[in-house]
Amino acid sequence: MAQRTAKQRRADNTRQAKLAQLKAAERRRRARIWSVFGVIGVIVVIVLIMVGVKLGTGSDNGGPVSNTAAGKVVKKVTSVPASAYATVGAGSLAKGPIAINGGDAITKDGKPEVLYVGAEYCPFCAAERWAVVAALSRFGTWSGVGTTASSSHDYAPDTPTLSFHGADYSSDYISFAGYETEDRDQQPLDTLPSDDQKILQKYDAPPYVDQSSAGSIPFVYYGGKYFSNGASFDPMLLKDMTHAQVATAMHDPSSDVAKAVDGTANSITAAVCKLTDDKPANVCTAPGVKAGAGKLQPAS
Amino acid sequence: MSRTTGAEPTAGTVTWPPRWVQPTALVLAVLGLADSVYLTFEHYTGSKTLACSSGGLFNCHAVTTSDYAYLPVGSGVPVALLGLLFFIGITALCLPQLWDRSRGIDLLRLLALGVGVLMVLWLVYVELFKLSQICPYCTGVHVITVVLFGVVAVAEALRPLPVER
Repeated sequence: MAQRTAKQRRADNTRQAKLAQLKAAERRRRARIWSVFGVIGVIVVIVLIMVGVKLGTGSDNGGPVSNTAAGKVVKKVTSVPASAYATVGAGSLAKGPIAINGGDAITKDGKPEVLYVGAEYCPFCAAERWAVVAALSRFGTWSGVGTTASSSHDYAPDTPTLSFHGADYSSDYISFAGYETEDRDQQPLDTLPSDDQKILQKYDAPPYVDQSSAGSIPFVYYGGKYFSNGASFDPMLLKDMTHAQVATAMHDPSSDVAKAVDGTANSITAAVCKLTDDKPANVCTAPGVKAGAGKLQPAS
Repeated sequence: MSRTTGAEPTAGTVTWPPRWVQPTALVLAVLGLADSVYLTFEHYTGSKTLACSSGGLFNCHAVTTSDYAYLPVGSGVPVALLGLLFFIGITALCLPQLWDRSRGIDLLRLLALGVGVLMVLWLVYVELFKLSQICPYCTGVHVITVVLFGVVAVAEALRPLPVER
């Protein structure tokens, strides 16, 4: 009886030791599982923090803001010498505005209308505006053009630019309607009237543009004869420049900025000349404009 | 292919990997592979866009043709292609025949997915703070990578421990 008890005790001890080992192994396994969930939790938290920070930084910090005291810059942009335009020609421009067959001829005050749709936050609009302002200044006079910069949180952040919000344009040849649909903080700004909205919806969409870039801005419509969708050059070209530096560089035909901006302006000018029956002659027959006309794209 | 682990004595009769792991991991890997095939196609067929999408935050084309679509940024190897190669490798590593075949393969699977998760965090940062554009197809790949990492990591955590002699 005493022997059986001793055997039982040894068996109990062995079982208890085995049980303890199993319990210890199970504890280690559970610890590993919790570690894995911890790692996954950290990943999720990092992503949530990034989303939270992004949502919480809707407003830009620093950077230039819209103002009407941009006279010097606008004056410089609108006084690029004919010699600079002539030297640059088409410059580094790859493709100018695209022709439209049978496009809707829009007019305002009896003159063919150039319609621009963009947004102040958009870096590509920021690039294109310099050329639009320069080109149209050859046909008329700007007032109220402000300076601003693209979003601080987008591609090519804080690209220096001008703004058509609140701007006026007068010309004997054409009219201009420019809309900045959102400000730098992507808050609503200008609203398109229904007729211009219809033009945007019709021509900033297939078959005129690829499905992938439908609705993209900047969109410029030249009175039913030409249009452009997107910037003509990369806004990174203007990285870290001030408004004054961009405007000054436009006067130097050897600068990369002039090759891009003045080249684009020459091609835009050529498109506008198609609306004005090549008036004024001194503009539309200028060598730079003729070179720019060579970059106009046929209807697709 | 589930089996009890090797020659070592294990805790109880637990099999590894658990039955749900292999099909779940393989399905996720194949989904990730299909998504990355599309993104690679989009990268090579889409021209570089110099426009802002009116669609707001969601624009795959802008993301896959941006400077950040390359590693190093602006040049180098397309991220979409790296993603495709990654998922080809992960799909192979998630084939049922390769689970528990060797400790090295199991660790390689976990390590590769860990690197994938770090890449996902970088790409989410780029989308949110550098481009301000979200590509839903990219997000699909990101979610799949993180979930697949979770599945494989949980499977590794469930691996039976050898019982001390």
